[in-house]
Amino acid sequence: MGTRIILLVGTTKGAFFFHSDSGRRNWQMTGPHLGGWELYSILGDSRNGHRIFAGTHHKSGGATIQISDDLGQTWRPVEHGPRFPRAGDFDWETGAWTRKDGAPEREWVLNRIWQLIPGHPTQPGTFFAGTEEAALFVSHDRGDTWEEVDGLTSHPTRPHWGPGAGGMGLHTILIHPSNPQRMWVAMSAVGVFRTDDRGATWQLRNAGMRKVPVEGVPNVDGAAQDIGHCAHKVALDPDDPDVLYMQDHGGVRKSTNGADSWFAIEEGLGQEGDERFGFPIAVSRSGDLFLFPLRSSEHRVARGGRMVVFRSTNRGESWHPVKGDFPATTNYVNVLRDGLAVDSLEPYGVYFGTSSGELFYSLDRGDTWDAIPGRFPRITCVKPWLVEA
Amino acid sequence: MDASSGNVSIKVCVPSLLRDCAGNQTHFSLEACTLDEAIQVLLETYPLLRFHLYDEADRLRQHVLMYYNDQNISWLERLDVPLRPGDELRVLQNVSGG
Repeated sequence: MGTRIILLVGTTKGAFFFHSDSGRRNWQMTGPHLGGWELYSILGDSRNGHRIFAGTHHKSGGATIQISDDLGQTWRPVEHGPRFPRAGDFDWETGAWTRKDGAPEREWVLNRIWQLIPGHPTQPGTFFAGTEEAALFVSHDRGDTWEEVDGLTSHPTRPHWGPGAGGMGLHTILIHPSNPQRMWVAMSAVGVFRTDDRGATWQLRNAGMRKVPVEGVPNVDGAAQDIGHCAHKVALDPDDPDVLYMQDHGGVRKSTNGADSWFAIEEGLGQEGDERFGFPIAVSRSGDLFLFPLRSSEHRVARGGRMVVFRSTNRGESWHPVKGDFPATTNYVNVLRDGLAVDSLEPYGVYFGTSSGELFYSLDRGDTWDAIPGRFPRITCVKPWLVEA
Repeated sequence: MDASSGNVSIKVCVPSLLRDCAGNQTHFSLEACTLDEAIQVLLETYPLLRFHLYDEADRLRQHVLMYYNDQNISWLERLDVPLRPGDELRVLQNVSGG
């Protein structure tokens, strides 16, 4: 049968899966899966059997991870999912909640699961989850039980972390391809952290990023802490793990030293106002980079009402619009931070889903685009998953 | 009614969104003597429901309502209300508007 692809699409009203062969011309939809739940993250994993993870939440039901082992036909919520430790107990006799001795002053609340990724290839049972409020969780048993990587939330700046407009979500988790001790995480309005000891300790890695105002940032060991940077999405170069790319609130950046420092890579993106603003950034296995820049941080819609993807074929030195052949209709849409993705087939496919629920894909590096028929709820995440049939 | 224990059987209803957390059912029955005991039995029988209905401080989530017959339990002064056969405990999603 060979390789098949399943495009996993999360929306604010459930998930939709699109199945195709490696030619990717005909797509068959299943879904909606998990109808009624809002999904911010989804992951297909084939390292030990096919398993799909969905990060679901609902205003009246809280956030949890749900698992399917039959390509979405049935789901089960994870019983021991990401949780913050309780700061107190409820006394049924008195009907009152009391804080535990020594518990932190502030409760942390689990609002959403923003990111789900597989662990390092040497750890096929390991998965990571990024949450709102911002924290990192890990599972070592294929997602059945999760525990917090509390080295991150023990960082002395944690009391000063604040939310961006979308909430205080930990939206990016990256693992060094040959050194599982090294990881990066990013969260909006806080910044980028790196660990070199498998999560035990974390260091801020925001030098060179533009800053948004944050009050009361503490000094630690005599040094002002460098938080308040609004990373929107970070991607790792496919060939050089010291190279990272970032779409942030103020523009697009690159690091060539493992995120020790960042510099702008914005040639060709426009200089008017803050029109380098956008959410997603994606990189192909050949190193092509893709963005969906918006009009500005205030408007947050496609520039001029026209969908345009920007591409860089020289590792970010310059950017060019790939106007594609989208319908010439007015289109004031947005593409959210996990709404743009690239698969690892040859030639690679680029996919994006819009805030208006439309799906597009290109098999020629963005020069021409096809729509996957249908209009869906607001699309939050698009994840291509290759499955050996 | 289980005369030996004083337990009575009541009806329970949970939102369909939480069906998977309640043994793949939305309507079922449980036995308890009092309302607070019924809530505890519900949460002990289906531990995932506790997570979805209560927040990190064990408070009923902001958008969850729990009704005992026609009364919101948050209106009740006491939860040790003796149950009667046929009583209902209903979990509702408090997400109003369009």
